[in-house]
Amino acid sequence: MGWQKMRVAGASAVALLMIAGCAAGGNDAPAVTQPLRVVGQFEFHSLDPSTAGGFFTRLQVAETLVDADVQGVLQPGLAESWSASADGLSWTFALRPDALFHDGTAVTAEVAAAALTTAQGKAGTPLATVPLKAISAEGNAVRVELAEPFAPLPAVLAHTSTQILAPSSYGPDQAVTKVVGSGPYQVSHIEPPAKVELAAFEQWHGEKPDISEVTYQAVGRAESRALMAESGQADVTFGMDPSSLQKIRQAGKLDIAAVTLPRSILLKANSGHEILGDVQVRRALSLALDRESMATALLRDPEMAATQLFPPSLPDWHQASAKPLEHDPAAARKLLADAGWAPGSDGILERDGRKFTVTLRTFPDRPELPILATAIQAKLKELGIAVDVKVGNSSEIPAGHKDGSLELALYSRNYALVPDALVTLTDDFAPEGGDYGSMGWNDPALTSALHDLASGNDAGKAAESRGKVTDILQAQLPVIPVAWYRQSAVVSPRVDGVTLDPLERSWRLSDLAWKK
Amino acid sequence: MTNAVAMHELSPAPAQSANRPHWVAGRTKTQLISAALLAALAVFAIAGPLAWPDHALQDLSRFLEAPSAAEPLGRDHLGRSVIARLAHATQLSLVMAVLCVSAALLFGTLAGIAAAWRGGWVDSVLHGLSEVFIALPALLVVLVVSAIANGDLWTLCLGLALAQWVEYFRMVRARSGLLLAGPAVEAAGLLRLGPAHIMRRHLFPELRPLLSTMATFGVGSSILALSTLGFVGIGVRPPTPELGLMITEAFPYYHEAPWMALAPVLVLTTILIGLLGLRSKESRA
Amino acid sequence: MTISTAEPRTSSRPAVPSAVATTARVLGRRALQAAGVVLVVSTACFAIVQNLPGDIAFRIAAGRYGYDQVTAASADSVRAELGLDQPVWLQLMDWLAGLVSFDLGNSLVTGASVAGELGLHLASSLQLAAAALVLALIVGTTVGALAAARPGGLLDRLTTVWVSAARALPPFLLGLLLILLFSVHLGVLPAAGHGEANNIVLPAATLAVGLSGLFARVTRDAMAQIRQSDYVRFAATKGLGNWLVFLRHICRNTGVTLIAYVGVQVLVLIEGVVVVESLFAWPGLGHALVHAIFWRDIPMIQAAALALALMVVAMNTLVDLATAAVDPRPRHKEAVL
Repeated sequence: MGWQKMRVAGASAVALLMIAGCAAGGNDAPAVTQPLRVVGQFEFHSLDPSTAGGFFTRLQVAETLVDADVQGVLQPGLAESWSASADGLSWTFALRPDALFHDGTAVTAEVAAAALTTAQGKAGTPLATVPLKAISAEGNAVRVELAEPFAPLPAVLAHTSTQILAPSSYGPDQAVTKVVGSGPYQVSHIEPPAKVELAAFEQWHGEKPDISEVTYQAVGRAESRALMAESGQADVTFGMDPSSLQKIRQAGKLDIAAVTLPRSILLKANSGHEILGDVQVRRALSLALDRESMATALLRDPEMAATQLFPPSLPDWHQASAKPLEHDPAAARKLLADAGWAPGSDGILERDGRKFTVTLRTFPDRPELPILATAIQAKLKELGIAVDVKVGNSSEIPAGHKDGSLELALYSRNYALVPDALVTLTDDFAPEGGDYGSMGWNDPALTSALHDLASGNDAGKAAESRGKVTDILQAQLPVIPVAWYRQSAVVSPRVDGVTLDPLERSWRLSDLAWKK
Repeated sequence: MTNAVAMHELSPAPAQSANRPHWVAGRTKTQLISAALLAALAVFAIAGPLAWPDHALQDLSRFLEAPSAAEPLGRDHLGRSVIARLAHATQLSLVMAVLCVSAALLFGTLAGIAAAWRGGWVDSVLHGLSEVFIALPALLVVLVVSAIANGDLWTLCLGLALAQWVEYFRMVRARSGLLLAGPAVEAAGLLRLGPAHIMRRHLFPELRPLLSTMATFGVGSSILALSTLGFVGIGVRPPTPELGLMITEAFPYYHEAPWMALAPVLVLTTILIGLLGLRSKESRA
Repeated sequence: MTISTAEPRTSSRPAVPSAVATTARVLGRRALQAAGVVLVVSTACFAIVQNLPGDIAFRIAAGRYGYDQVTAASADSVRAELGLDQPVWLQLMDWLAGLVSFDLGNSLVTGASVAGELGLHLASSLQLAAAALVLALIVGTTVGALAAARPGGLLDRLTTVWVSAARALPPFLLGLLLILLFSVHLGVLPAAGHGEANNIVLPAATLAVGLSGLFARVTRDAMAQIRQSDYVRFAATKGLGNWLVFLRHICRNTGVTLIAYVGVQVLVLIEGVVVVESLFAWPGLGHALVHAIFWRDIPMIQAAALALALMVVAMNTLVDLATAAVDPRPRHKEAVL
C-alpha cells in the first residue's frame, strides 16, 4: 500500500503549499511605498453629500465653502472669506480663485451655487432649516439671501452636506454617480459599501501631502477592527471598543490618539408622558444613574461621566460653575415618594393603580449604547422602576417621537456637526420638540435665549444667553445626560502626526507623515 | 444548522445484549459518557436558575471580577454573576431547542403521514411545499421570520421549527409510503383493524428509532442556530442570557476575563458533543 | 482525489442511452423547484417585511442618512420619493412584473440597481464558498483515504475526534479562534477585510474545517466499505494492479457517495457563509441580507433571499447531473436528499 500513502502525502503537500502560498502574501515587510491603510466603522451606501454622512469630507476628497479647525473655529475652505450685510440678510462668500476639481475644471461660483441649491432641497439637512431666500453666483462669489438674520450661516456651510462637487459627479437624473471633489485627495477606486482607494491630487493648491496613497476599509464589528489593528493590518484604526483599547494600551506596541468629542450620550424623556412629564420624576431618574460607575466599568474612562449636558470640549457651552448631576438613590426615592409613587406588592412603584413601567429604546450601531441601557435598566430597577429595553433600529427614536409613543430613548448626539452648536440646539430644543432633543417640553426663556443667539443681535450678551440655556436644561432635564465621549484611534508606529478632530469632520490624512 | 448531517448516520440501533440492565444494554461507552454529560447539564439547567435566581443583578463596581469561591465563574462586564447567567442561558437553550424540535417533529410527522396516507392532491401540495423549503437555507428562514418580532422567543422558535419540519416530513412520507403499501398493512386493512391500529402497530414502531435520532440532532442544530443568531445580533434580546449572545458579549474581554468567554463556549460545545456522542456508534466497518 | 475519478473511463460499462433523458428529467424537475422557490420566497419576503414592526420609511431613512441623522423630515421625503403610500399588493405586483423581465429594481437605501449590487455580493460569496469547498475536499478526502487504509488506526481515531470537534464548534467560534491564532498571535494572515488575495484564507478555512471533517468521515466510511465489497475483491483476485483497482473501482464508487454528500453540505456551507461574512467583513450575500433586513430595503431582501435559494437549487442540480455522470445506472428515484 506504499503507493497509496505516497499519493495521499502528495495531495496533502499540495494543500499545505496552497495554504502557505496564500499566507505568504501577508508577511511582507512594511515598505513606505505602501498605501496608508485606514480602517473604520463607517460604510458608505450612497455618494450623495446629504446621505454619505461626511464620509468624503473626512477623507478630504470633497470640500465645503467653510472649514473648521480642531477647536471648532471657522476657517476658510473653498471660500477665502465671507461677510454679511449690515442687516444680516445677505451674505457673500468669495471663492478661492485657484481651486480646481479633480477632473481639472475650475471651481466656479455657478457650480458652488448649484451644489448648495441641491443641498438645500434635501430633507433633513441643516441647510434646509435655514431661512433661505436665494442662492446665486456673483462674479467669483456665492451670494446667499436670507428671509431673516441667521448668524450661524457660515457654520452651516461647513456642514458636510453642503460639500461642493464638480458637475461631472452628477449623472443624468442629478444623482451623484462619482465623487469629484476639490480636496487634497482624489478617489482612484471605489467599491461600495466598504472600500475606497485614494491618491493625492497633483494640482492641489496647498502643500503636497507626505502620504500619497490611502486605502479605507470599513469593518462592521469592533472586535474585528481591534484585531486588524493588533495584527498590523491597519495603520490608523477608528472606532475602538473600550476593552480592546485597554489591551492595546497595556501591550504598548501601538500609539493611541484620543480626543474628547463635543458629543454626549443622553437619555431622552418624553415630557408629555403621564409619568415622565413630571420634572421631579425626571430628576429622580437622573439621581438614580450612577454615571461614574458606568463610565468606569463600561466606557473604561471615569472622566467621561457627564456632570451636565455639554462636555468640556464645547467650551462655549460647558458651564464650569453648574451644579454637577449626582448619584443619590436616597434623594431619588424621596422625590418619587413625594410625587406619589409607592412600591407595590411586586416591588414595582405604583400610583393610583398605574405601575411605573417604561420602555427604553436604543440601537446597537454604537456598541456601548445597549450595554449602557442594560446598566440603566438595572439601576432604575433598584428604585422600583421597571424598564423594558428595546434594542432596535435608530429610526425608531424619531418615529416614536413623531407618533408620540416614545417614552425613554438612549442615543448619542454630536453637537458640532455644524461647528456652531447653536444650529443643532435650536433644532433639538425647538418649542415643538426635536427628533434628538426635547419631546413634549418647552421653556419660553430657553426659546428666546436661543433666538437671541441665532439672530446675532447683541453679541455682548451671547455668553450670558448660553449660560441661561445650560442652566435651564440642567434644571428641567428634558434630556438626561449620561456620559460624554472620547474618540480614540489606534495608530501604527510607522505613521506620525495623527491628530483627531473633535468635530469628526476630517481625519486630516494630509497632515500625516511616514515615520522616518 | 440542518439535520442533513444526520442522514448518513441513520441506521437501526445496535442489537441489545442480554445480561445488562435495559437502559445500559447495547449502549456503547461513548453513549453512556454522553448521556452522563447531558444529564449533568440538564441538572445544571434545572437547578442552576433556582440556586442563582437573579441573572440580571448588576454590581458595576465589581466588573470583570475574577472567579472566587462565592462566584465560581467570576463576574461579567456589568458585574453580573457569570454562573447565574450561564445557568439561565443553558435552561433557555435547552427548553427552546426541545420546543422547536417538538413543533417541527409533530408537524412534519403528521404532514408526512397525511401525505403518504391520503396521496392525491394532499401529497402533491405538501410535497411541492417541501421541495421549496428544502431549497431554502434554514438560516434564511429563521433570519426572516425572527426579524418580525425583534427577538421575541416565540418567533425564533417558529422560525427554527419552520426550517426543520421538512426533514421529518420527507423521511416520514418516504417510510410511511413503503410501509403502507406493504403486506402487513394490507392484511390489517383486510381485517378492518382501523387507522389507529395501523399507526400504533405498524407505522410508529418503524418510525420511532429514526425520528428519535433525527430529533437528537435537531436539538443540537437548534441550539447552534440560536447561538449563531445571537452572534449575528438578531437572536434573543439583551439582557436575556443566551449562550451565543454571552459568547459575543464576552469576546471583547477575552484577554481580560477569559473565564467569561470560556464558560459559555464550554457549555455549548459540551451540549453538542453530548448530543453527537449519544448517537455515535463506536465500532464501524 | 475525486478529481482523478473522472479521468479514466471504465470501458467495461455499456453506453447509456438514457443519459440525455436523465439530464432532461433532472433539469425539468429542478426548474420546477426553482419556479416554486422564486414565487414563495418573493411573496413571503414581501409579506413579512410589510408586517415587520417599525415604519419602513424611517428604517430606509436610517439606512440612507446614517443611524444618528435620521429625522422625521428625512423619513417623509423618503416616503414621498419611493411611493410607499401605494397599496401593498400594487407594490408586490410591480416587483413580480419586474422580476419576469429580469429587472430587480433599485435599492431603496442606496438607489443603485439591485442587480448590479447583487452581482458583486454573489460573486464574492461564490468565491468564498468555492474556496472553502475546494479546500475541504482536498483535505477531507486525503485524510479520509488515509484513515480508510487502516481502519481503527491512529489516524482513523484522530479523524473521529476531529469530526466531532468540528461539529461541536460553531463556525463563528472557529472563526474567532482562527483569527486569534493566525492574525493576532502569529500575525501571518489578515483578520478581516476584502480585496487582497490573502483576505480569503481565514474565512475559507473557517468554513472548510467543519466541512473537511465531514468529508473525511464520508470518504473513510465509503472507502472502507467499498474495499471489502465483492467487486473490489474480485478485481484484486483477477490480477488487476493496486493502482487500477484504486482508480477504477474504489475512487469512482467513493465519488458517487461523496458527490451526493457534497450536495447535502451545500446548504450547510451557504448558511456558514452568512455567519462567516459577518465576522470577517466579507461583502457577500449574507452580509447584504442582514443589512437589508435591518434597513427594510425590500427589493434587496427579496433579491438576496432569492439568490441564496436559487444558489442551493443550482448546486443541487449540479450534484444531480454529476451523480448521473459518474454513476449512470438508471434508478427510479433521484438519489438526492
